[in-house]
Parts: sequence; C-alpha cells; structure tokens
Amino acid sequence: MFRWEKLGKVFTPQEVKGRSWLKEFAQAPATLLFDDFLRVYFSCRPPADENGQYVSYSAYVDLDRADLFKVRRVGERPILSLGGLGEFDEFGIYPVSVIRNGGEVRAYYGGWTRCESVPFNVAIGMATSRDGGETFSKLGNGPVLSYSPDEPFVLSGPKIRRFNDTWYLWYIAGRRWKRVDGRAEPVYKIRMASSSDGIHWNKVNKDLIENRIEADEAQASPDVFYANGKYHMFFCYRYSSHYRGKEKGYRIGYASSTSLIDWVRDDAKAGIDVSEEGWDAEMISYPHVFELDGNTYLAYLGNQVGRHGFGLAVLHGKLE
Amino acid sequence: MKWNKLGKIFDPTQHKLPNDCVQFAQAPQALVFDDFVRIYFSTRSVDKRNGKYLSHIAFVDMRKNLRDVVRVSDKTVIPLGGLGCFDEHGIFPMNVMRHGDSVYGYTCGWNRRVSVSVDTAIGLAISRDEGLTFQRIGDGPVLAASPHEPCLVGDGFVKVIGGVFHMWYIFGTGWKRSSADAPPDRTYKIAHAVSSDGVQWVKEEARQIIADRLGAEESQALPTVIGIDGGYHMFFCYRQSFDFRTNKERGYRIGHAHSDDLANWERDDDNPLLDVTPGDWDSDMLCYPHVFECDSEVYLLYNGNEFGRYGFGLSVLER
Repeated sequence: MFRWEKLGKVFTPQEVKGRSWLKEFAQAPATLLFDDFLRVYFSCRPPADENGQYVSYSAYVDLDRADLFKVRRVGERPILSLGGLGEFDEFGIYPVSVIRNGGEVRAYYGGWTRCESVPFNVAIGMATSRDGGETFSKLGNGPVLSYSPDEPFVLSGPKIRRFNDTWYLWYIAGRRWKRVDGRAEPVYKIRMASSSDGIHWNKVNKDLIENRIEADEAQASPDVFYANGKYHMFFCYRYSSHYRGKEKGYRIGYASSTSLIDWVRDDAKAGIDVSEEGWDAEMISYPHVFELDGNTYLAYLGNQVGRHGFGLAVLHGKLE
Repeated sequence: MKWNKLGKIFDPTQHKLPNDCVQFAQAPQALVFDDFVRIYFSTRSVDKRNGKYLSHIAFVDMRKNLRDVVRVSDKTVIPLGGLGCFDEHGIFPMNVMRHGDSVYGYTCGWNRRVSVSVDTAIGLAISRDEGLTFQRIGDGPVLAASPHEPCLVGDGFVKVIGGVFHMWYIFGTGWKRSSADAPPDRTYKIAHAVSSDGVQWVKEEARQIIADRLGAEESQALPTVIGIDGGYHMFFCYRQSFDFRTNKERGYRIGHAHSDDLANWERDDDNPLLDVTPGDWDSDMLCYPHVFECDSEVYLLYNGNEFGRYGFGLSVLER
C-alpha cells in the first residue's frame, strides 16, 4: 500500500473575494509548474440560478512553490468563456486538464449542455494558451472528442498526457442513464484515446478499469502518472445511486499498467481513504498526481465533491 | 433536363401507421426491389408526457408504377434511442442503401435541449431482413459535432462510388434569434465526408460545398446525389433561416448542383427547376428531395406544403 500523508486543504474557494463567477467549488485540480509557483487549475461555480441550476467555470490558483499552502494569486477571470447558444459548452467548462506543448499550453475540458430528458450532456473540447496558461482560445466552437457508437453520451473528465511522442487522453464515457428515485443518474466508465497531434483521436473503445463495487459503478478522474517503469492510475469511483453521502460516495482507486491499455486494478494499494473527521471525512475524489522538487503529491477533493476546495497529500516512499 | 410532376403519391392520413403515428410522411427515401419500391418516410406520434412530437420511421411498398400502394409497414422499423441518447426523440430522416446482403440505414437522430429546441447526429443501423427492421451498430452516432461543426450534424445521404463511401450531410453553423423574444432558429449547410467502411468517417471539417443563393442566412438541407450520364447531380432544399414556416416567400425550395469530380459543385437551381404549383399540394413549399433510379427512369420524391404533413409526391426527369 502506498503511504500518503495528508497535508490538509490548500485552497478554499469561499475565501476568494471579488469574483462573481467564483462562489464555491474548486473541483478537479490539475497542475502546471512554473519557476517559482505551481499553477493549479480548478472548476468553480457562481451561485445557482433561480431554478437551482449551476454553471461551471474553470480558473487557476497559483501556489508558492516553496510553500504550497501559500496562495499567491487567483486568476482574475475564468480561463475560457462559456459556449454560445446551442453549443456543447454553453452551460459549463469542467473539468480541465492542461499540458505544455512547446511554448503553448493546451487545455482539454468537459463542455456541458442541458438536455430535456436527462439533466445534461458533456463532450470534450480543446483550447490553446499562448501566454503561459493565463488565457486560452478554443480550437473551435465544437468538441474535439464527441459521441460515437460505443460512447453515446457524457464524454467528460479528460486527462491529457504525452508518452513516447504520442498524445493520450484518458476520459470517461457514459454507459447508461439510470433512473433513481425519479432522477436520471449517469453511469460512466474510464476510457482512452490516442493521437499523433492531440486533435484527431483514435478511441480504444474499451473499458479500462474493471468494476469492483457494482456493475453500475461510476468511475472518474483517470489520472495517469509514469514512475519506476510502469504507469500508475489513480481514479475515483462511486455507487450509481444515493452517492451524495458518505456511504456510497466517491473513494479513490488505483490501477497500474505497462502497456497503457491493459490495467490491473488494486484499490487496496491506493493508500488514501476518507478521514475520521473534517473536510474529507465523507468522500474523496478527483485525484491528481504530480511531482514537485523531489516529492510526489496527490491533489484531491473532499466532501461534496470539492464544494469547499481541494487538499494535498504527499507520498512517503515511491510509486512502484 | 426537366422535371415532369406526377403529383402526390402518398397521403399518411389515409393509412394506419405504426407507433400511433398520425400525419406527416417526411423525407421519403427509396429502396428498389425487383417488383416493388419500398419508400421509407418519417411520421410522427405525440409524446404523451409533454405534447411534443416524436418522429418515427415507417415505410410504404409501392408497385413500380409508383402509384399503387401494396402495403404500409405495420411494425416498428427501428425503435427510438434510449434515455439520453442522440436519437431519443426522433429519427428523421433515415437514408437507406444496399451494401452486400444488408441494408444500411443512416439515421438522423433528434434529442431535445433546454436552451435550444434540439440537437442531431447521424447514426447507423443495419437491416438483415431486406429492410423490414434495423438494428443500431451502437447507442451513439457515427457522425457528430466536431471543432468546426459545432451542432446539428444530420441528414446523411450515403453512396458508395469507386469503393469509397461518400456521405453528404448538413452541419449547423449556429443558433440565432431573429428578435430578442423569438425562439432561437438554426442555420445549416451541406458538407461531405468519406469512409472506407461506412462506420469511421473523415470529414472535411466545415467545408460548405454548395454556394449560398440566399446569403449567409440560407439553410440548406437533405442533400441527395445521383450519377447521370457520367456527371453527378445533387438535389437539396434551402430556405431562409428565419420566418420560413408559414411565409411562402421564405420557405423551402428545391436546389440543384452538379459536379464532375465529387469535390467541386456548381450550383444551378434552374436546370432542372422544380417549382411550386399554385393551388396544388405543393403550392407554398418544396422540401426534402430524394433522387433515385428505377427501371431506367430518374425520379425525385419530395414533400410539399407544411413540411410533408399530408404526404409526398413524385417527379420524373425528362432527358
């Protein structure tokens, strides 16, 4: 089992003032390293509208590289504007995954639209920054990864990586909408695509991670990290119904692979679980692993899927 | 070349239709058999939950004189998609094409949205019983939105030419309101994609292949292509993007373009021209053309007034 030492919550969106689009939530942390700070992208929400519905924006917070608990700056504006009327990302840009590509930074993001029979649909968009990740412009008004025969809806949670000169995108794809107490709840599984340019993608069309807790287990945030001769994936999973509380809510799982396509799940190895009490006592989700100055860190969300921010854990020992 | 109108040949209100459908026989599509022609069309039931329409595929078999009805489908040809799927709220139209022993059905699936009325994508369903029933290859579409085709990918028409699958289809360029309190309307244009297997498609990514006649706010729909004497002819319908439903001057008309290389199309709506006939079933509108060959004749199926609420008609090409 990996030994993660929890360091506590590093960012609390409620403490940020003067941004109408940022009231609560700091979801799906994704890091980009600079000389003297660590930029963490996250997704947040303004207050719900009169119908109780939210939109999501994505932004960043810069943490001091020497002391990650010191917030140096929060972006003045969202990194992307929401899509226009009828476009795939009209009602939310969440989550975001970033990667450097030469002098540019690319962001892959889930774009949210609202539907009539189910609450939403999601497809994956791409945007590029030429100012070091402060502002981004979209590749187009439509998605870069969309629905296909085996992936009919809810393509979300992108995690962009590049290994051996090939682009890889891990993401989730909806399998079915399940009616629970009159509400449509999405079941989604971890999937993958590869590309030579990051724009034209070949889907593997396969569930990468076997189910453990139930057939309709929902899996998210497939965060892949290479270390010590193999690929490590931390992800989160939950039950398909009544998952908004502690009992059936998100936990963090683990799998490893040497091929990138065949994965062996071993949640017992993940080494991080809910706390006895506090901000992450009910659920933990949206893991993101990164290396910084000789340490390996895990950023993750706590209760209510990041409503009150994200925290960090540091690894003792190696990922192997 | 000249179209000779043969009149309305099918009225859905004169037949019992499956899935509790009443009215509408839209976007007719022909599948020619040895001794009859099967014509698929989209008809409508009413969604009991909210009073909105659901489009279903049905067919009519006609003698090769294209006047006498042999039968109308009494079973579901293809069920609508499941909860949250791209074709949950309608299939309109479905283009059919023989491939080996199968019939491929390229569906335009409709799903309802909140800020705009609908989005669409193109699916593939295959029939192994001569087109009586079709089974999807998956719950999702084969052609959907992409970076520069942001919405409303639909109306696929597929033909295999020289071993290559060609698809002509439409993509939405965006939604706009004609005035602040009007519901959003859409604009779409005709595009082209190719495939080696009919499943994996390569788009030209937002290349509009047919020039506008009415300007940027022209909507172009339902392309249909046929080879005649070594050249290719495309028919389609076009209209203004706003105030097109009841304003005769702004509603659908039939357009035409021709090409020698399947890449460059020259628009020429007047040769041959299919025009409205005052006082007749197609006096105000002409839409949803489908061109096909049967016993050496070239026919055009199409809808008239009210987008085909009362059926479709036929023209034959005089050469």
